[in-house]
Amino acid sequence: MSSGLAILAVDDEPRALADIKRLLETSASVERVATATSAKEALVYLSGGRYDALFLDVAMPEIEGMALARLLRRFADPPAVVFLTGHPDAAVEAFEVQALDFLVKPVTRERLESALNRVEQHVRGAEAAKAGPSGDGAEATVTGPDVVAVDNPKGGGKRLVRLETISFAQANGDYARIVCDDGRFLLRTPLSQLEKDWGASGFARVHRAYLVNLKHAVELRAQLNGTAVLIMRDDTEIPVARRNVAALRRRLHA
Amino acid sequence: MQDPIQGRVDGGSPVSVHFVNNVLAAAASYIEEDPDTARDVLAELGAFLSHRLRASRVVSPAEELEHVRVYMRLEQARFPGRIEAELPAADDLPAARIAPGYVQAPMAAALERWLAQQPGRVRVALRARGDALDLQLDRPDEPGEPGERLRIPLGLATAGSV
Repeated sequence: MSSGLAILAVDDEPRALADIKRLLETSASVERVATATSAKEALVYLSGGRYDALFLDVAMPEIEGMALARLLRRFADPPAVVFLTGHPDAAVEAFEVQALDFLVKPVTRERLESALNRVEQHVRGAEAAKAGPSGDGAEATVTGPDVVAVDNPKGGGKRLVRLETISFAQANGDYARIVCDDGRFLLRTPLSQLEKDWGASGFARVHRAYLVNLKHAVELRAQLNGTAVLIMRDDTEIPVARRNVAALRRRLHA
Repeated sequence: MQDPIQGRVDGGSPVSVHFVNNVLAAAASYIEEDPDTARDVLAELGAFLSHRLRASRVVSPAEELEHVRVYMRLEQARFPGRIEAELPAADDLPAARIAPGYVQAPMAAALERWLAQQPGRVRVALRARGDALDLQLDRPDEPGEPGERLRIPLGLATAGSV
């Protein structure tokens, strides 16, 4: 990253907006801060310039922050989204739209710097991806949130799962089935997107249908036909495609 | 989105976490440019929470009216220039015993809804009408738009409160 971050802060509450603007402007990692008091105004800013991240209020008139975040996901190269809210319970929905972070107002400087750190890592990851693909995707540096919201089969709501507890994700059409310490859940995200989001958290695509948390792997067992099987700590055997075996072996031995 | 509600105390009305967090954010915004206002907002928030979080009790309509005044000043601190408030004199209120937040909670629900619907000013009027309070909300800049009216019966509150 060649210069500081460009941030667009969006909140219909003018005092809360003034507070986050002042905090952002006094952060060493931020070069430029623009403010908007509505989602519509934010879209005008976004159409006229490039921003690394939006710090976005969840509850706003007309178009809510969550709706704007969903809209941004359709952009070819969307800015990262960090939610700002007085609603602590909105976290689950925020992670569902792949928000980079979720801050409850008023924000401490330490917490803000942590969020900006995530944004910087995200920008670096995006720049690295533009410079050249890494091949098997295992070396991506984009940092996603360290938890993910999954459909909870009990009660129909959402459940937060920490990435570190996930053993692997298995492709299931446009969905992914994740296997974690607490059980198995369905995630409405394709495996290819999870590969991008979780690459920096130690996950590797070892097979067309499998994304694996390498911290849960205990053995790579070669097969006679050139493929391999990855043994997980719960003894689950994950197939490894032939073209991924060498890169995976290097990574496990690194 | 539904407002996350916490802090229901002994049958009184709940306190909105969203409201408290946003008032604190507003107070933080005033600290450098207007420290006196920042201090006042925090003191008013303290008074607001004390009224609601003290152990099981009932209050007079006059005490609840003062709570409503504090609430309106906090909302005006969050949204400078957006809220006009008209409140009755304490002497006009009937004698009754009500739960803390009995009047403020429905006012807050209505006002938050009106503020969230669209930008612009909102006028809130609370008037004494016999044994009840009449709450009216409208938009002073859009005189043709229908307002909202809500009757808050204080007599019923006495029978049904804490």
